[in-house]
Amino acid sequence: MSAVAVRMQGMSKRFPGVIALDHVDLEVRRGEVMALVGENGAGKSTLLKILAGMYTPDAGVVEVGGEVVQLGSPRLSQAHGIAVIHQELNLAPHLSVAENIWVGREPRTRLRTVDFGRMRADSVALLRELGIRQDPDALVGSLSIARQQMVEIAKALSADAGIVVMDEPTSSVTEDEVDVLLDIVRRLRDRGVAVIYVSHRLREIFDVADRITVLRDGRNVGEVLQTSASSPAEVVNRMVGRDIDQVFGHRLEAVPEEPPVLEVRGLRSGPRVKDVSFDVRAGEILGVAGLVGAGRSESARAVFGMEPVEAGEILLDGTPVHWQGPMEAIAAGVALVPEDRKGSALFLDLPVSVNIVSACPQRVSRVGWLSSDREQGLSREYAERLNLRTNALRQPVRSLSGGNQQKAVLARWLATNPRVLLLDEPTRGVDMGAKEEIYGLMRTIAATGVAIVMISSELNEVLGMSDRVVVLREGRVAGELSGDEMSERAVMSLATGVHERGVA
Amino acid sequence: MKSATLSVSPAEDVPQRRLLRRIVGAKEFGLLIAVVVLVVFLAIQSPNFLTAGNLTVVSRQVALALFISTGMTFVILAGQIDLSVGSVVALVSVSTGLLMVDAGLNPVLALPLAILAGALVGLFNGAVFAFTRIPSFVVTLGSMAMASGLALGLTTGSTISGFPSGFLFLGQGVWLGVPVPVWLAAVVALVAHLVLTKTVFGRHVFLIGSNTEAAVLSGVRVRAVKISIFVISSSLAAFASVIETARLSVGRPDAGSGYELVAIGAVVIGGASLFGGEGSILGTVLGTTLLGLILNGLIMLNISAYWQEMFSGAIIVLAVALNMRRRGGRAGGRGWAGVLARIQKKSSV
Repeated sequence: MSAVAVRMQGMSKRFPGVIALDHVDLEVRRGEVMALVGENGAGKSTLLKILAGMYTPDAGVVEVGGEVVQLGSPRLSQAHGIAVIHQELNLAPHLSVAENIWVGREPRTRLRTVDFGRMRADSVALLRELGIRQDPDALVGSLSIARQQMVEIAKALSADAGIVVMDEPTSSVTEDEVDVLLDIVRRLRDRGVAVIYVSHRLREIFDVADRITVLRDGRNVGEVLQTSASSPAEVVNRMVGRDIDQVFGHRLEAVPEEPPVLEVRGLRSGPRVKDVSFDVRAGEILGVAGLVGAGRSESARAVFGMEPVEAGEILLDGTPVHWQGPMEAIAAGVALVPEDRKGSALFLDLPVSVNIVSACPQRVSRVGWLSSDREQGLSREYAERLNLRTNALRQPVRSLSGGNQQKAVLARWLATNPRVLLLDEPTRGVDMGAKEEIYGLMRTIAATGVAIVMISSELNEVLGMSDRVVVLREGRVAGELSGDEMSERAVMSLATGVHERGVA
Repeated sequence: MKSATLSVSPAEDVPQRRLLRRIVGAKEFGLLIAVVVLVVFLAIQSPNFLTAGNLTVVSRQVALALFISTGMTFVILAGQIDLSVGSVVALVSVSTGLLMVDAGLNPVLALPLAILAGALVGLFNGAVFAFTRIPSFVVTLGSMAMASGLALGLTTGSTISGFPSGFLFLGQGVWLGVPVPVWLAAVVALVAHLVLTKTVFGRHVFLIGSNTEAAVLSGVRVRAVKISIFVISSSLAAFASVIETARLSVGRPDAGSGYELVAIGAVVIGGASLFGGEGSILGTVLGTTLLGLILNGLIMLNISAYWQEMFSGAIIVLAVALNMRRRGGRAGGRGWAGVLARIQKKSSV
């Protein structure tokens, strides 16, 4: 038996307008945890989707256990012992833990009915092996995300998977659960499973991985790193590939000393936002950091009138406002670029031009009647301003790349002449080039006197772009950082509520 | 990968050719051809088809259906469905009779009141849907039964006749050789077309159908638009009912049965997506015409009227299947625009 569990060689994959993978190699041995890291758009997901049988590569060879295999479908991939645990978990929330583990492979009784007794007993044994104490009858929907991850791992193990791929397993998991999860990963490795661990949290990677493969812009960066002989700084350098300052640009002029445009005091809204206060001045970029679930997006939505404000105040230019919905917020000069671009921002099948003018009907109409000339003129103007190809204006926005889609969303909001721009994960799912462009645009927009509030989970981005950073934890402000206080460590310790040293 | 209409820069585009390209490139063009082919086929197959008498009958039927399918277009564009239109026809037919015959009201007063009765059903549909998030399918399934039951209850199942002759002109009259319902339907369709393509309200219908969440975030008053589309749908169904009542000179509690199926079918055949955000009045007009011609053709070809419903059902399923297939293959210049592009490419080489 070969020590190499899976070897991917020369993998290439091209999508319209973008080369997602350009001759990428990845090799994982049995009983090894291989970390796969890279910025968003570096090609990690594409590589995983090829491994999962969801994409067919344009070029490249996949070997499993030393033999060349074709992974044309998820079913074939599973048949070769590959289990991919995606970020969006593939579980049925209304079924029990045991039912989820054995779904599609349920043990049968002699009468061909499902043998629930054996199913439960096998589940308990399996979970125990992984060191998980979990009632197999509990409904999966009632479990935390980390617990659901564990069910997925147990499911992979029950299918005798020799290769387990985990895509950002800790992205929505609380800090203490991370350690439990990492422990399970080590147990998997000790059983001889080859684990591919995708994460951008360097602490976890240096905690659990044996080796590290770095991708950037669809290519391997250098040789595979031995974790023991590397450092987080080296990994970051490889991921970003250049001086960080160069990517984020610099503030050209100081933020004018004026009273804040937007002030939020003691905001409470829904289950996630308990007590949030911040303010932002014209021309300033305020970063909002925190773990997933800290109430960042929900705060932005409440400010934008999407969620009811249960307590606290929102002030615009020092005057309290009570918006009944986004329409009034927009009219007052507030704009929100939501996190889920396709789900809540874009009209995918409608033309780019319609998408751009959708939030400012009054600028392209008179007493309710649209003017096609004004619509074309305005969408062209903002497309040019944001460096969007204008010959694409009539095409459905679906046909654009992620970065250009995001620029179309930005164009829509700039067309409303906002005074406050709320950006929720503005660079999620866009490639490196578009990212830099968006950062540049943010600088330009801020320079025209717009107050920007940027929610981001990417620490680099928060630290690189923000003038100040507000850190939220469990629906409350954990602290505010500015100037020299702004560091990765300071943000993380506020976000988790644990001092870095205390954790390790 | 670009479609043919977009890949040519405006500078080298001669106006006449651009017009031709727009006509042939429109996705309704295939439907127009289907209508023409069907007319030719029926004219050859049946000597009775191309007679003034039959064409009057067909056009009047298509006109009546067109009121309802025009309203249904608003609902389907917003990604919803209205199953209650047939029952609204029944309720309004009965109301017209009760107000005009039993109560003896002047038609000028009775007609708006009868149409209002229909509009109220739409208000109910829209309000329940917008405020409770119960799927429109369920809300209108309920109101379909309620409106129909109301019509039966008000009349204890009997019909009402004895309408004033001036009123009957609406359904039976002819102006400039064309039946009055056809004129009315043409006006309604034209107005609906302008509303959907040229007004902010129409744009908002498309936005909601394309992505409701994004429409909310773009500041669209989603609830108001949702309520409006159901009011439009049932008001137009009420309008159709008044005209049908005038045509038959009888108010019937069983009028309009199965009309929702015809209307939904016509809109889908017209190229609208049942998921919302895609469709046009032009498509609906052609879809309604095509469906009307098919149903008329069945009679012309001596197929019993009892089979009609089976055919409309099958045609609708077929139309949705074709529609989905076209959406699946949307990338690349397929469809008529693609065909034209290929022909031109060949001739220019």
